[in-house]
Amino acid sequence: MNERSILTQTLFQEKKDIAWAIIGGFVAGIGGVSLFAASGYMISQTVFSPPLYTLIILTSLVKILGLIRAASRYSERMYSHRATFSLLSRIRSTFFVKLVPLSPGLFNKKRSGDLLARFVGDVESLQHYFLRVAYPPIVLIMVFLATVLFVSFYSIWMALIFIVGMLITTFLIPSLILLGQRRNRGRVRLQRAQLSTEAAELLYGFRDLKVYGQLKTKEMELKQASTKLVDDQYMAARHLLRGQTLHVLLSFLVVWSVLLLGSFLINNGSLAGVFLAMLVMAALTVFDEAGAMAVLPVYKQDSEHAAQRLEETLHSGNRIPTVQKHRKLDDNLPVAIDISGVSFHYGDDTRPVLGDINLHIPAGSKTAIVGSSGSGKTTLFELLLGLYVPMSGQIRLNHLSTEELDEGSIWRAANVVLQHNHFFRGTVRDNLLIDASGYTDEQLTSVLESAELLNKSLDDLLDERGENWSDGERQRLALARSMLRGGRVWLLDEPTSSLDSVTEHRIMQRLLASASRDTVIIISHRLAGLEDWDQIVVLDQGKLVEVGSFVELMERKGYLYEMRKIEQQMIHVDR
Amino acid sequence: MKRRTGLLSQQLAMQRRKLLLLGAFAVGLGIMIVSQATLLATIVNEVFVQGTSLLSIAALLGTMLAVIIARTVLSYGIGRTGIMLAAISKSNIRDALIRNMTKNPLLTALGGQTGGKVSVLLDAVDEIDSYFSQYVPRLMEAAFIPLLLLIAVFFEHPASGFIMLASAPFIPIFMILVGLQTQKKSEEKYTQLTEFSGTFLDSLQGLLTLKLFGRVNRQQQEIERSSLGFRDATMGILRIAFTNTLMLELIVMLSIGLIALELALQLLVFKSMSFDTAFLVLLLAPEFYSLLKNTGTAFHSGRTSMGAARKVEQALGDLIESGHEETCEEKDSNISVRHQMPPAIEVNQLRFSFGDNKFELSVDAVQIRPGEKISIVGPSGAGKTTFMHILAGLIRPSTGEVQVNNRVLSPAWEESWFEQMSYITQHPYIFAGSLRDNIMMGTRRQVSQAEIEGAAEAAGLSSLINGLEEGYHTLVGEGGRGLSGGEKQRLALARAFLNRPAVIMFDEPTVGLDLYTERVLQRSIEKLSIDATLITVAHRLYTIRQADCILFMEKGRLVDSGSHDDLMKRLPQYAEMVDVQRRGGFQ
Repeated sequence: MNERSILTQTLFQEKKDIAWAIIGGFVAGIGGVSLFAASGYMISQTVFSPPLYTLIILTSLVKILGLIRAASRYSERMYSHRATFSLLSRIRSTFFVKLVPLSPGLFNKKRSGDLLARFVGDVESLQHYFLRVAYPPIVLIMVFLATVLFVSFYSIWMALIFIVGMLITTFLIPSLILLGQRRNRGRVRLQRAQLSTEAAELLYGFRDLKVYGQLKTKEMELKQASTKLVDDQYMAARHLLRGQTLHVLLSFLVVWSVLLLGSFLINNGSLAGVFLAMLVMAALTVFDEAGAMAVLPVYKQDSEHAAQRLEETLHSGNRIPTVQKHRKLDDNLPVAIDISGVSFHYGDDTRPVLGDINLHIPAGSKTAIVGSSGSGKTTLFELLLGLYVPMSGQIRLNHLSTEELDEGSIWRAANVVLQHNHFFRGTVRDNLLIDASGYTDEQLTSVLESAELLNKSLDDLLDERGENWSDGERQRLALARSMLRGGRVWLLDEPTSSLDSVTEHRIMQRLLASASRDTVIIISHRLAGLEDWDQIVVLDQGKLVEVGSFVELMERKGYLYEMRKIEQQMIHVDR
Repeated sequence: MKRRTGLLSQQLAMQRRKLLLLGAFAVGLGIMIVSQATLLATIVNEVFVQGTSLLSIAALLGTMLAVIIARTVLSYGIGRTGIMLAAISKSNIRDALIRNMTKNPLLTALGGQTGGKVSVLLDAVDEIDSYFSQYVPRLMEAAFIPLLLLIAVFFEHPASGFIMLASAPFIPIFMILVGLQTQKKSEEKYTQLTEFSGTFLDSLQGLLTLKLFGRVNRQQQEIERSSLGFRDATMGILRIAFTNTLMLELIVMLSIGLIALELALQLLVFKSMSFDTAFLVLLLAPEFYSLLKNTGTAFHSGRTSMGAARKVEQALGDLIESGHEETCEEKDSNISVRHQMPPAIEVNQLRFSFGDNKFELSVDAVQIRPGEKISIVGPSGAGKTTFMHILAGLIRPSTGEVQVNNRVLSPAWEESWFEQMSYITQHPYIFAGSLRDNIMMGTRRQVSQAEIEGAAEAAGLSSLINGLEEGYHTLVGEGGRGLSGGEKQRLALARAFLNRPAVIMFDEPTVGLDLYTERVLQRSIEKLSIDATLITVAHRLYTIRQADCILFMEKGRLVDSGSHDDLMKRLPQYAEMVDVQRRGGFQ
């Protein structure tokens, strides 16, 4: 049972609290049974007009038992809930940590709303495992056995009724509940995830939905998902209620049987009448406590399903967690890159994204990569960053293969601007200081200036994903962020695609000046301005077509030359 | 104070019939409880004190069996009504939230944290469940049953009745004291919950960035911190709940003890009472108190629900403040006619700011004739996209207006407006689903596969799609194949082709693409805009040159407008921009 491992593993971490909870629960349970049994006995005793002091002793006994019961119940609850909620928060952070290696590529398999549902709802429902499944049966069985033992002193038959009742509660009723439940096992959870997924998507794609007039349709879909969820929740709650009701009925029936058998035995003369009330009270109480057993299997199944979903998320990456890599990239040296015979395809997609790429990028050189959409430029960056491992061939950074390099050290050495740069909700300062290095506000302001973000201040707020900023502004902020990194290799994936040419020109001038001794690789969509770059790499459909300086490639009259001609037509149409 | 329970009491008011049903069930249940206890006491008395034979109590035992079954059925009825009440209310509340989510203006929709909003929709609404499934039924029970029990006890033995009457008020008083605190804590808890849901989702979206910047550990700590915060908030509530129960139990125990002592004295010392009466009272007293105690527990969870409901109200309230314009649903039929002439668009005295006083968009007057090609140019950050958003009706201006065919653009008829226009954004959102579904998003009409393929062809997507194993059924978006930037934009274009709009808005349409794709797109756009008004936020000289009218913006202001030649002559900023573009980007 793999899914239970996540539960039992974490359970061990709080074993002290759990032990206390068990002790508390046992004392409370026994205390309760004794309390009511004693009061039944006491009231019966009065019939015989005993001396007042026995009565006082009995009453105080009842009082003490009541106190003990209340106090132990309180501590049981405190301990068990504290343990449980600590466990849940631990599971949550583990879950997040385990998701980290799955990115990028995480969202090729998973949807964010679904992950959120797992992270919040599924984890939350694990509390039932800890609070209702893990330890309560131990407590209940102990209390029950003690009660049966006590009852058997008076009558073996009576004890037998208790046992039969208990067997029905533990086995028959749960299977009756589960009978109806089997069909929709985990349906509530899946519906919940569905609603969460749809809602997240609606919020993320809001603008497009609105513009395409699809909000109504989405609204209907969401409402349908919501109705289904509520229906399923209703069904599940009804099943649970039915089980609880059956249990209540059963415990009344047990009391009734005890009454019947007791009357019979008293008539028979094999039981003293004074014990009847006591036994009835004991039966009422112990079966009241045992109610948890009737619904236990439901919760057990449910939380195992939740645990299974959590585990399944973590084992679905298309990337095997790599072994610890020890080699580190020296972040004081500019990086030389050797790519030899590299081929790559994503996950199950068999079409190669990159095929047999061979390329040398000297330390401190300036390289531009051009090529049509989908030619594999961005993938090459992902490989350079060690985010994916090539299927064949090798990438060496300063003579160290990416397979043996600690990715963290590559990332430290790299100043990256991605095509889609993520920003977190917060201030500009927070987003600039994302790697938490100690820069003063002056330094930060000056980097904003370098990135031509003159009208922004460090305290300006960004919405989630920087949605309140224009694309151009976000690109400039990403450039500013990368300028603060201080790595020796720059990987810029169309960093200025949303900027006007004047701004682009100014920022790139500054960037290249400060990176004069670093290795710079840029993926560019424009050919103009590439004349001075050391090396231009042309990719087409995953193949490396041409490499050389701008002048060389122009003379060769190959792919770049053709592209240049097209661009000339487009730009200089007015000449 | 009225507002505090507004949402919940509103739901209750809508389901008065169920409440009546609950009340009827509760009265029945009370009668059954009294009967069961009476029968039990009588039987024990008969057997134990009177020594009656089993046969002669058979009738009593049979009645008791019937009462037991009736009692179970009635309490099942109460439970089930509660669950139904909860289901209907949750469904209503969620529908209201969803409705508001879609009615939101753009800025509200994009603000805040997605994870938090989703969590309100799911977790906070689910928490409301217990208000209806626990609190309300218990309250109904507490309203009738203790009264019935009290009457029974008074009837049997008034002295015990007085003790119960005297001790009972402690319980509600105590509950109210505790409950007030609970709701505040519960609001805290849900604030924590939405916060960590938001943090989690935001971190998930930016996981790659976090990795590259070496921030994963810090973010993990952040998540751990907020998740521990949630734990502490939860524990805070539970601590109150447990203390509550402990105190209630003590009160109950004291009272029962008092009753027991009083009964014993009556039985022994004064001998003024029979065994069966005493036993009956002793059976009824715990029922009485356990009902009140359960009400206490239910009250606690009810207050917790109210905290959650408060969160939902806030979420609904945010929207009510900003989205108050869904009143008139008038639809103008002649606007929604397809294939008509593109409308004339006019802008008057537009002012808009994001509320931070740093940036104000101000455009005094622009007139766009049907079918005109307009380019909006200017340095990044000039407000081009914001202006386009206002033109598109996605953002409402602070003052001033946009008129389409002499009609002020307003949410009242935005649906028909969106039907005749297409807005191709820089980063179109790709929905989880097949490529086919994603293209079909572009229109609300029924379209054939041939039309879809035609649109994909026109947008230069068909060779890509045909190269895919599953063709148009390939899954994209979250949970599917990733698309490159260029592919996404072409997909957005295909949507537009399907829509055949009268007005096209392009936000930097050809940027970030390679030249081949760009050429394909340029041709597609030209084709698409033959009979349409085209408004482009443009950087490419080619696009700019093709425009009938160029709007040059700077620092939120419309500086000048005119043809390329005019602006070259009279606007130095424009000439500089063109010059840099001609020389080519960076060197």
